[in-house]
Amino acid sequence: MTRPFERIDEYRVRIPKQGDMRVPGLIFADAQMMEVIATDRSPEQVVNVAHLPGIVGHSLAMPDIHWGYGFPIGGVAAFDPEDGVLSPGGVGYDINCGVRLLRSDLMHDEIVDRLEDLSLALYKAIPCGMGGSSTISLRKPELEDVLQGGARWAVEHGLGDNADLDVIEEGGRFPGAEPRKVSDRAKDRGRPQLGSLGSGNHFCELGYVAEIYDQDAAAAFGLGLGGVTLMLHSGSRGLGHQICDDALHTMLRASAKYGIALRDRQLCAAPLGSPEALDYFAAMACAVNFAFANRQVMTHFAREALLKFFGRGPGRPASPSELGLRVVYDVCHNIAKWEEHDVDGEKRRLCVHRKGATRAFGPGHPSVPARYRDIGQPVMVPGDMGRYSFVLAGAEGAMRETFGSCCHGAGRRLSRMAAKKLARTRPIFQELRERGVFVRADSKATVEEEISDAYKDVADVVDIVHGAGLARKVAKLVPLAVVKG
Amino acid sequence: MRAATVVAMGGIVPAVLQTPAVAGHRQIEHTADLAFELWADEFGELLAEAARAVVAVLTDGRAPAGTDVREVELAAFDDGDRLVRWLNEVLYLAIVEGFLVNDATLAITPEGLRGQARGCSGARDAVVTEVKSATYHDLVVRNDGGRWTARVVMDV
Repeated sequence: MTRPFERIDEYRVRIPKQGDMRVPGLIFADAQMMEVIATDRSPEQVVNVAHLPGIVGHSLAMPDIHWGYGFPIGGVAAFDPEDGVLSPGGVGYDINCGVRLLRSDLMHDEIVDRLEDLSLALYKAIPCGMGGSSTISLRKPELEDVLQGGARWAVEHGLGDNADLDVIEEGGRFPGAEPRKVSDRAKDRGRPQLGSLGSGNHFCELGYVAEIYDQDAAAAFGLGLGGVTLMLHSGSRGLGHQICDDALHTMLRASAKYGIALRDRQLCAAPLGSPEALDYFAAMACAVNFAFANRQVMTHFAREALLKFFGRGPGRPASPSELGLRVVYDVCHNIAKWEEHDVDGEKRRLCVHRKGATRAFGPGHPSVPARYRDIGQPVMVPGDMGRYSFVLAGAEGAMRETFGSCCHGAGRRLSRMAAKKLARTRPIFQELRERGVFVRADSKATVEEEISDAYKDVADVVDIVHGAGLARKVAKLVPLAVVKG
Repeated sequence: MRAATVVAMGGIVPAVLQTPAVAGHRQIEHTADLAFELWADEFGELLAEAARAVVAVLTDGRAPAGTDVREVELAAFDDGDRLVRWLNEVLYLAIVEGFLVNDATLAITPEGLRGQARGCSGARDAVVTEVKSATYHDLVVRNDGGRWTARVVMDV
């Protein structure tokens, strides 16, 4: 489908309002990135979202946008409380899929010769893949406590520190969760999975700070050149998938009931004040909390493994202060939230959908933890397992243009099928080792689907959000040991 | 004969499939996810074929055979919804209960679907790939001249 793209400047492309679009589309991309984006159907999905009732400003797309289902992956849309809608397709199946970053006092040269054993220690510590049921199995009442308590539940049960909670979006506990709005099926799927990575693009990655672009921000985040980091990428597992499934079925009926015209069934939605939307929000909030708790429990598992690994022998683990392993930030990239934003000089309460997009609040925002408030919210943008990832800081531009949002990753370039086909012609594990990356995986197929070639270069993605003023580049992280599902 | 049902909104309908097989499927490219084209002479066969396609992905083509039976009853409001709800049932049975569907006899009811799924119980360990859900995105179910074709995108 040919779309009349209008280039606004080096980093912005507008899709003008036409037909029944309620707002224009706005894609953050330079000329080279736009060529890649235009090869799939994601711009059409930006247009589809622009048709939804009550959408405010623009139907937005980040430079890592790619073809999803319903919303594009990398899409952001905000809705007015009076005439706007809530759409499970604008959140995605993996509700509160997100990234957590930890820093440490360990240095790259201290671990570079021990990566084979270190990667094995992490692989054994963190349940992953399809066989990866957690060592924590919850009874139903406990699960309901998790759904309401989020990461706080984990900390209260000795799986982390209170200090961790200060640096999690929403303090690790999303308000409005009502476990009675979650189906038994979703609960069944969630109970054995707390503290597990899952498969696909989820990972646990030990890396190091290879480059610093902003000394003050890096210092505030606790990141120094050569310092070892740990990054976790996972979400709400089967519980979130089932909540999304359940909601889509309800919302399809609701769309017909409320006369919402859909250009894609996956965009089914209900008015924000309707019982259907309120029910979904209450269930979604449970999945958000499950995911915060999930990353918190995995953090605990990883910490325990590292303390043991760097200890002085059996039964004599290192002390937490020796490793200085501290959470930098935990941010989600699949969610719908009520937030206040300035729109044309007016402060408005809006329901912001971020699907494959990260919150990136700028300096001074009260939701940014006090220790980072002068800098801006940390934003983690993972690349692929063979190259690098970036840490950014949210900037003023995001507050002005994107409802405080920016990119979430590299964005796929090849389908999983194409990536596998390419990977099977090459010794992938050996190639990664030659680059200095030890990969441990539950499934070889997952690694094949996730090869570097399958992704855009994340450096190009972050250069665009940096250039557009949505976030500032702070540091580059290079992977050393990766655990995949 | 049932009327043709076109579920897609703004999508591309599957190409006419030139194949001698009564029922079959193939994977098609989708940047982020996994998509299937399916074909069969009857809607019930199409659903059984869809289950086999998904189970093959879940098990990397190594699903154990079995003749165990599960009763199935699903609410759905049209054929597209029937296909999506059925595949999500197949996923639930495999991932949570370890039951791998390899065939099904399903009847369309005004409320949705009812019938039996056949396959292998206790096969949770054979599931090696995670598939989150069948989606409604770009969904097509149609009946042209007595031949059923469908396209469904899976979130993986």
